Amino acid sequence: MKAIIAATIFGVIMMYAGFAVKEKKSIVAIATILLLLLLGVNIWEYKTVVPNAPSLFNFQLRVDSFTIWFELLMTACSLLYVLLIGKDIAKVGKHVGEYFALIFFILVGTYLLASFNNMLIMFIGIELISIPQYILAGSDKRNLKSSEASLKYFLMGAFSTGILLMGITLIYGATGTFNISNFNFLQTEHINPLVLTGLLFLIISFSFKVSAAPMHFWTPDVYDGSPTPFTAFMATVGKAAAFIAFLRLFHTSFGAISGSWMMVLAIITAATLLIGNITAIFQQSVKRMLAYSSIAQAGFMLFAVVSVNAIAWQGIVVYSVAYTIATLGMFAVLLKLKDYTFDGFNGLAKKDPLLAGVTTVFIFSLAGIPLTAGFMAKYYMLQALVMQGKLMGLVIFALLMAAVSAYYYFKVIIAMYFKQGEAELNPDYTTSDRVLLVVTAILVILLGIVPQLLLPAAV
Amino acid sequence: MDILQILFWLLTVMAIGCALGVVLSRNPVNSVIFLILTFFAISGHYLLLNAQFLAIVNIIVYAGAIMVLFLFVIMLMNLNADTEPQKSWLVQLAGVISGGTLFLVIIAAISKVGHLGVIDKNATDIGLIKNLGKVLFTDYVFAFEISSVLFLTAMIGAIVIGKKEAE
Repeated sequence: MKAIIAATIFGVIMMYAGFAVKEKKSIVAIATILLLLLLGVNIWEYKTVVPNAPSLFNFQLRVDSFTIWFELLMTACSLLYVLLIGKDIAKVGKHVGEYFALIFFILVGTYLLASFNNMLIMFIGIELISIPQYILAGSDKRNLKSSEASLKYFLMGAFSTGILLMGITLIYGATGTFNISNFNFLQTEHINPLVLTGLLFLIISFSFKVSAAPMHFWTPDVYDGSPTPFTAFMATVGKAAAFIAFLRLFHTSFGAISGSWMMVLAIITAATLLIGNITAIFQQSVKRMLAYSSIAQAGFMLFAVVSVNAIAWQGIVVYSVAYTIATLGMFAVLLKLKDYTFDGFNGLAKKDPLLAGVTTVFIFSLAGIPLTAGFMAKYYMLQALVMQGKLMGLVIFALLMAAVSAYYYFKVIIAMYFKQGEAELNPDYTTSDRVLLVVTAILVILLGIVPQLLLPAAV
Repeated sequence: MDILQILFWLLTVMAIGCALGVVLSRNPVNSVIFLILTFFAISGHYLLLNAQFLAIVNIIVYAGAIMVLFLFVIMLMNLNADTEPQKSWLVQLAGVISGGTLFLVIIAAISKVGHLGVIDKNATDIGLIKNLGKVLFTDYVFAFEISSVLFLTAMIGAIVIGKKEAE
């Protein structure tokens, strides 16, 4: 709760900074300081969490140590994002203060989605992460592709929000409550058909928000068309927030009737893995490849929702952070290059061995090679699904698809180390960028060795 | 059949008929007019449910503000001509099949529900402004306050996207 208030106030401060401070660099600095403060508030809230007071506002918000821990990690990821990419955000357009304000408001939405206990709050949270993303997607106004991405995202997003509301309405009609831990209606053997229809709608709309397979068509165009600094945020923190909501809703309220939705979600997961990985192979642009890879990674993250058990909760934390750090790193590298195609990476190892080295670490993590965070993340997810034990076919299929994913990820490494060419770098690539990229790469390896660092102390 | 039932069926027929009119009419201006009529019919339903506030807000916000905006956009961009490109029959078939499947699912669900048994007898005047305000500022005060952040983002969006970017 403290963090929600703090993030809102900081967002408003950023809005004022937008017109009071003229220098773009100082706006980025203010945003960094405010994010550090926000991280401090998160830590304060985590330290002072009361174990036996798990909800606020008449059971609308849940404030246990897990949710606050997740919020803390998301703030830390946003801080890393601003440190790595903040300079490039300032280059997108004129309204730098507003961009950062929107990022703070997305964080408010993320906190809501991590801690909601009421479908009304969930809806506001989902809108609060979606609407700023529509705006950020279209922030590069002189670029036609950016406007196209924004409009496409907005129209499709509005449509899926309508489906979400319809689902919530049907479930409310059947149970008479928005409170997700109070669906005693659902614990019985006899399930109301209205609930099942509502459930179907919720699955469709959440699959859209996390870009799972049959609802993924917006992802490549939006991620490719949006300004690269904002794509990095959408693909990481925005996605993790949608996933924690998906997980919380389906485990807390529909966990007891998991038999009636598990198969649907398992098919969606398999389709997501298949389409994401196979289509990624044929991409020429690394940015577009990362968009498809984010679909494929969403397939893995869906494992947490499908396997209704405690490890899934640990898994989603580890996966969210591991994927976020590696993807942020990849986008930071991409922003250093002039050419976003695979050919743009040709000969990077000769030109800048350090940049090529950190890129290799990020790619290894995304592909799930041992000793990187990505491997441990995939390990947790597969473990959750194996413990659940009903969908072993999906486990084998996922392993197969992870092998396929190595093919297109390694195309980047092959381009960097084994192809001749002159990779062109952007001129404003400074020593502090190098240090930050190396720190991020070390973080990826550290989390690959001790992933327990990512789990809250109590769990 | 008492007067309430007659009103209910009248409004229902009007709502469904006008909603079909929105989808089926070729001219976008006609579609918008049909949509306004649909909103009026739904507001009538709200009135039957003793939710006067919702009925009035529905008319003011949707029929009043949003639909007028729609009409303005359609007229300013001169969209009233029939310029909708024809989709190929394959796309049309896919749309009919998927829409029909969804329709079937919903019909099947509703036909099996029977009596829900969750209607709260005391809540019949919950739609009055007094009660609504009470609930909004006590039970749902957090949701109410946090929506202000949502509106703030929407306003920022209007500024970021709408403001002229001088070189």
